[in-house]
Amino acid sequence: MKFEVHLDSLAGKTRHVVDLEKVGASYKVSLDGEPVDADVILAAPNAVSVLLNGTAFEIHIAPSLDGTYKLQTGPHEFQADIRDPRAWAGRKQGGLEAEGRQQIIAPMPGKIVRLLVNVGDEVEAGQGLVVVEAMKMQNEIRSPKKGKVERLQAQVGQPVNAGDVLCVIS
Amino acid sequence: MFRKVLIANRGEIAVRILRACREMGIPSVCVFSEVDRTALHIRLADEAYLIGPAASRESYLRIDKLIDVARRSGCDAIHPGYGFLAENPALPRACADAGITFIGPSAETMETMGSKTSGKQLARRADVPTVPGTDDPIENPQDAQSLARTMGYPVLLKAVAGGGGKGMRVVPDDQAFASCWRDASSEALNAFGDARVFLEKYLHAPRHIEIQIFADAHGRVVSLGERECSVQRRHQKVIEEAPSTVVTPELRRKMGEAAVRLARAGAYVNAGTVEFLVDANLSFYFLEVNTRLQVEHPVTEQVTGLDLVKLQIAIAAGHRLPFAWETITPRGHAMEVRLYAEDPDNNFFPCPGKIVARRIATGPGIRLDEGVYRGWTVPIEYDPLLSKLIAWGNSREETIARLRRALDEYTITGIRTNVGLFRRILSEPEFLRGEIHTKWLDQLLARSHPPAVPPRLGTEAASAIAAAYWASIQPTNSSSGSQTSQTTPSRWKQEGRRSQLDRQP
Repeated sequence: MKFEVHLDSLAGKTRHVVDLEKVGASYKVSLDGEPVDADVILAAPNAVSVLLNGTAFEIHIAPSLDGTYKLQTGPHEFQADIRDPRAWAGRKQGGLEAEGRQQIIAPMPGKIVRLLVNVGDEVEAGQGLVVVEAMKMQNEIRSPKKGKVERLQAQVGQPVNAGDVLCVIS
Repeated sequence: MFRKVLIANRGEIAVRILRACREMGIPSVCVFSEVDRTALHIRLADEAYLIGPAASRESYLRIDKLIDVARRSGCDAIHPGYGFLAENPALPRACADAGITFIGPSAETMETMGSKTSGKQLARRADVPTVPGTDDPIENPQDAQSLARTMGYPVLLKAVAGGGGKGMRVVPDDQAFASCWRDASSEALNAFGDARVFLEKYLHAPRHIEIQIFADAHGRVVSLGERECSVQRRHQKVIEEAPSTVVTPELRRKMGEAAVRLARAGAYVNAGTVEFLVDANLSFYFLEVNTRLQVEHPVTEQVTGLDLVKLQIAIAAGHRLPFAWETITPRGHAMEVRLYAEDPDNNFFPCPGKIVARRIATGPGIRLDEGVYRGWTVPIEYDPLLSKLIAWGNSREETIARLRRALDEYTITGIRTNVGLFRRILSEPEFLRGEIHTKWLDQLLARSHPPAVPPRLGTEAASAIAAAYWASIQPTNSSSGSQTSQTTPSRWKQEGRRSQLDRQP
């Protein structure tokens, strides 16, 4: 499972992509595309123990009211914005950029209310493509990569089901 | 000994007193306000009674309700702790009327010794040095100047009607006297319409050093040595230690004798603290008397091996101070930090809330006096003191190392605390050399922040991995994550709000 983690501390802001693959009782971890030797467990409530190449860290995690998390390890603190692939809204600009030809699918059932691009348009990563209304909320579906709108299957007013292809970015 | 003791307080000190009672085999009774039903002192109590709404003046400050609970539950003594009613003579009076023993000095003693002015008068009578100065304003600059010469420079000129630093001048030497006098009196006249000034000895960067005394009802008074409390933020003590780095055995004896003389002069009984200012020449001057147990009493307990709360109870029950404690000397070194639910990055604003998780500090030389636990919500109505972390060691260096180690172990998740402040203080070279005074911390905090301690290699990577792992084990479609605080809104709601905010027009 891939996560995009934005860390904010006094030292500045950084972005990391963490891939956790469950293997038996533990995880295979890769960080920013590189496999790392990390043993990660929940040691106590809200306390995650990480053995990174044998160096031990205990990270204490508490949710903040704004949906981010406060991380604390020893004297160091981070604010973490964790983008979960299961979260249904599109990603913010500057987010994880996908590679190759991408099918843009509806993440949940709803109705197309607006098209923001036309076939043949050049789009940036994070640029809005289609607006879908679901649960009385309008949600912008964004491009996961810089590219060109190859195909646009969505039409305004059209109901869509989760998994329907809305457009293709090449 | 007492049949039963009522603890008229809350928080860590209520727990502290409850523990002393339990060790002595005395049943105790706790009281609580509506928001304190789940407080630790109630969870640990033998008996507990509701005394009113959250506001202190309708609960913990209601003498009538406390006396009523004491009567109904069969208590024959009341311990006030510190804060709330601890220095209010109305409580010992009400106790006397109800035939209940107040664990502390008499109402009369509180009145004569507790107030700054009458305390100072008593100190003069008892031959305890006070900050030299005039009680009455001086009219004539020549008289003032000759007084300043006998007092020794620097001196302070203070407007009678003064306030906020207006009409106040530090006179560094005799030459500057005339111009300082002119400035102070004209400024006072302009600001307050009153040109009269007092003259006082100016103490440059004094230390706050206090003497713990104990007196029984049979005329024995002892000093249990000093505590250095110079690290203060806006007159609030932040770190306390014993012994002081500047107090020699000779000075300890002199200060102890002065404190004992004062206690005798005031016919003091039970535990008390005599506070002094100590200048660079190690001259000490009486400041005030605290007629109660102090927050920082554990520091003295660690270096003397005594239990001051049990001693208070025993003395109130009429027991004698056993001893040749007149010659007690501190063993090793102890230091206490006060952990508060407050945000050092936001002007120390109180930030109570739910303690989502906690890892406590233990191990050699560590003592944790507290009234909190995991899952408890720190109420907004009271002082946000969470814990007192106390370290003891054979030397000051060992004590500081233990305290640093314990601060790294002690983790509170869910609310902000001032732990970072202590990490900083405990690594300041001046503090490590013991070069501290009452303005030291305010000056330190006014300076710019030092560069943050560089994190260990991998800290950021480990944090990112931990964050991702944490997200992966959270329930995906429920807001009832068991470890999230109650105030966290639904993750769906957050996501919806985020998307809406992200939406471009």
